[in-house]
Amino acid sequence: MLPPVPHPPRAPALSLRSPRPLPAPSRARASGCSSPLSARRRASPASQLPAKMAENGDGLGTVPEHERILQEIESTDTACVGPTLRSVYDDQPNAHKKFMEKLDACIRNHDKEIEKMCNFHHQGFVDAITELLKVRTDAEKLKVQVTDTNRRFQDAGKEVIVQTEDIIRCRVQQRNITTVVEKLQLCLPVLEMYSKLKEQMSAKRYYSALKTMEQLENVYFPRVSQYRFCQLMIENLPKLREDIKEISMSDLKDFLESIRKHSDKIGETAMKQAQQQKTFNVVLQKQNNVNFVKNVYVNDRIPEERNEVELKREFEEEDENEEEVLTVQDLVDFSPVYRCLHIYSVLGDEETFENYYRKQRKKQARLVLQPQSNMHETVDGYRRYFTQIVGFFVVEDHILHVTQGLVTRAYTDELWNMALSKIIAVLRAHSSYCTDPDLVLELKNLIVIFADTLQGYGFPVNRLFDLLFEIRDQYNETLLKKWAGVFRDIFEEDNYSPIPIVNEEEYKVVISKFPFQDPDLEKQSFPKKFPMSQSVPHIYIQVKEFIYASLKFSESLHRSSTEIDDMLRKSTNLLLTRTLSSCLLNLIRKPHIGLTELVQIIINTTHLEQACKYLEDFITNITNISQETVHTARLYGLSTFKDARHAAEGEIYTKLNQKIDEFVQLADYDWTMSEPDGRASGYLMDLINFLRSIFQVFTHLPGKVAQTACMSACQHLSTSLMQMLLDSELKQISMGAVQQFNLDVIQCELFASSEPVPGFQGDTLQLAFIDLRQLLDLFMVWDWSTYLADYGQPASKYLRVNPNTALILLEKMKDTSKKNNIFAQFRKNDRDKQKLIETVVKQLRSLVNGMSQHT
Amino acid sequence: MAKAYDHLFKLLLIGDSGVGKTCLIIRFAEDSFNNTYISTIGIDFKIRTVDVEGKKIKLQVWDTAGQERFKTITTAYYRGAMGIILVYDITDEKSFENIQNWMKSIKENASAGVERLLLGNKCDMEAKRKVQKEQAVKLAREHGIRFFETSAKSSTNVDEAFSSLARDILLKSGGRRSGNSHKPPGTDLKACDKKNTSKCSLG
Repeated sequence: MLPPVPHPPRAPALSLRSPRPLPAPSRARASGCSSPLSARRRASPASQLPAKMAENGDGLGTVPEHERILQEIESTDTACVGPTLRSVYDDQPNAHKKFMEKLDACIRNHDKEIEKMCNFHHQGFVDAITELLKVRTDAEKLKVQVTDTNRRFQDAGKEVIVQTEDIIRCRVQQRNITTVVEKLQLCLPVLEMYSKLKEQMSAKRYYSALKTMEQLENVYFPRVSQYRFCQLMIENLPKLREDIKEISMSDLKDFLESIRKHSDKIGETAMKQAQQQKTFNVVLQKQNNVNFVKNVYVNDRIPEERNEVELKREFEEEDENEEEVLTVQDLVDFSPVYRCLHIYSVLGDEETFENYYRKQRKKQARLVLQPQSNMHETVDGYRRYFTQIVGFFVVEDHILHVTQGLVTRAYTDELWNMALSKIIAVLRAHSSYCTDPDLVLELKNLIVIFADTLQGYGFPVNRLFDLLFEIRDQYNETLLKKWAGVFRDIFEEDNYSPIPIVNEEEYKVVISKFPFQDPDLEKQSFPKKFPMSQSVPHIYIQVKEFIYASLKFSESLHRSSTEIDDMLRKSTNLLLTRTLSSCLLNLIRKPHIGLTELVQIIINTTHLEQACKYLEDFITNITNISQETVHTARLYGLSTFKDARHAAEGEIYTKLNQKIDEFVQLADYDWTMSEPDGRASGYLMDLINFLRSIFQVFTHLPGKVAQTACMSACQHLSTSLMQMLLDSELKQISMGAVQQFNLDVIQCELFASSEPVPGFQGDTLQLAFIDLRQLLDLFMVWDWSTYLADYGQPASKYLRVNPNTALILLEKMKDTSKKNNIFAQFRKNDRDKQKLIETVVKQLRSLVNGMSQHT
Repeated sequence: MAKAYDHLFKLLLIGDSGVGKTCLIIRFAEDSFNNTYISTIGIDFKIRTVDVEGKKIKLQVWDTAGQERFKTITTAYYRGAMGIILVYDITDEKSFENIQNWMKSIKENASAGVERLLLGNKCDMEAKRKVQKEQAVKLAREHGIRFFETSAKSSTNVDEAFSSLARDILLKSGGRRSGNSHKPPGTDLKACDKKNTSKCSLG
């Protein structure tokens, strides 16, 4: 239930605040929302009006009404008189008259009251005036007094005023001072900071200087930015930053320079450490592989043991050095880089710095990668090259890991790839100049250490190992070249006579060097001789040395033993089939080589050939790869020695033929002799004797070779003799000369039938002279009828006589006859003979023509 | 048929094993030298043509093995030789002493009028000299033959020795100042014999 009359708190406040409150009825009419309380209070008289008028009716009720109105007029403000007055007129038409009468009565009433009042107060008024007049003089006195006092006050106040002004001034000063102190307190830290900055600058603590600057800019300067000194400072800061940049950059330059100087040492240290690490590993591995080492041949033990001793020594050395492990930081002060990087990153110019650094380092890389032109001459040259590169990349790696973003993995990788290509190109070019296998080996070791070192730093080095394969081929090539010299020297120094031995000791020495087994020789008493000459064991030892040397390259190449086995066999094959083979052939083809040497070479190659299988075993023992289990390359030594032997045999035949030629050149026939000497020509006898003694002396020549040599010699002799007869320079031959020639051929046949070399069957050797024999028989018997009759028949006595040959010889004889035809005319016999010759010549010609038509 | 030479002289080198016979011959015939010692087996020869007194002379120089075991083979060649060169090693006294034996061998096996020449080889090795030059000079004088100290290695006196022997043989075999140089006196050398006959038949 809502209260019937709300009582808002603002309503009374409003009415209270109203400066001029409206008269109650108008107010009640004007505002419906006026307080009901006041409305009720004020309404009460208004609501009484109609009620009174209604009670009094016309005329009767007006008199009290007018009195009330008059009361109201007197008691209220004039402004409200209007409505009151209107109410007077609103009433009956005479009312206002009555009201006026009433009003006049009231006025008279009032006037009477006023008069009474004035009369009552008149005396008091006069008294008051009199009093007032008395006061006037006193007032004037007082006025003078007051004026005087005022002047005195004024005088007294002047001083006060001055002092007050002083005070005011002081107060102002005081306030100013306070302000200044405040401002100064603001400025002082700025200045302090600035001086600190200066100090830091002069103390070269640039990084903190930059920090200070930052602080200055962010914190201090805003506070005091209105001051000029601050502006100056603000202007100065960029300059300082530039200075710092420059200084740190120059520091960096110094650093870069020092790095370049030190990269040698860094690289050396890094490589040394990598090597020590590796040696350590190898020693461990070696100890694990003791069994394998024990497998190696008895006479191969020595080098292995030597290796082990070396390794042990290195191992010990390493132990001693272990304490002083140096790192990159120990060798180089990297702080300039960090500083510079910091400074630039603080300055927000990292990129410039990065670019500069990378560019400079790239330049350095290029310098480092450019080798000295004479690098290939010494190991040190190569070592310097490698240590510098290692140094460079170790530094780069350090920078990569220690700084953030100065160099990136991608950047170092790119740099490394560039370097790798360059290194490979350089090494390829330089190593190709190298002719000393030891140097190549050292180079290889350097490359391995180099690769291992850089691999340790996380750089990919596979391409280096690929390069090593190329260098291995080169190494093998240089080895082959070197061994070509070794073999040449061995052959040069050989005396090409069987190795003589006088006692067991010497025997054992040779046996230990060369695998030779011959029970017969063993049984013989001292002194005795090995069949081969001293070059054989030397060659065998050198082939083994070559294998060792070749093996050396594969050490620490991280290759499987199968690969090593393959490589060893390949290079050994090259040594045998190319180097040794060509050395042997060169030896055999040497212009001044004698039969003695050739014969001994044949014997030597036989023994070397037999030793080949021991070389196979030797390689197998080194690599531990069984020949049966793995498909391995075989040694082709056998063919080398076979080929050499064949060449030597061929050379023997050639040499013998040359000797025969030399004898034949000494032949000095008188082709016009009428009668033969009755004995064989001197040169031919010498020749036969020579051949006889040759075959008599070279008893140790293999039978087959001796037979072939003898056969070849006889054939060559036969051909040479035939050519002598048919020589186109020789225009005429007398029958006497033919008979003399026949005597010589008989000597040859005698030689052939005397079995100069054992093992010929029947008259095989004599057949070498059969052409000559039949031709000479035909001419000496003058058996043309038989020849012509039997021509072409297999059983013909003169089967081997070519009609052309016969014709050439016959024409030489015809010419002889013609020259002497003056005498011939006197002899009927001769004339018949000439006729016969003519006939035979014709017939032979037709045979020759027939032959040429046939063919 | 044009002849390639005027005379053929057969020379023979004898002496102990290792005194340098082969080297001397190789130096003479091929003008080369090999330090390695390769002992000659049996017999060998080299041919070189030289000019002596305006004549083309073919020298067939026989090289013999010094070793005793080849003696039977080598002595067979003594008879055909027109000049025999005895070689010893100046650094090896024994080889010099053995010259007497080789002389004896010549007497036994060679033709009577054979020209002889004594050579002391390896004269480049003065430091190791064992045989004094005077001894050899004396020995040569005793036998009425020429003597040279030679070195196949340094090529000292090699050509001179061979040429002088060739000249002696040429003079002896009838190279008298007569126009007919092809008419040697009756020597028992086969080659010359044969030549004689052939030239005679021409003339």
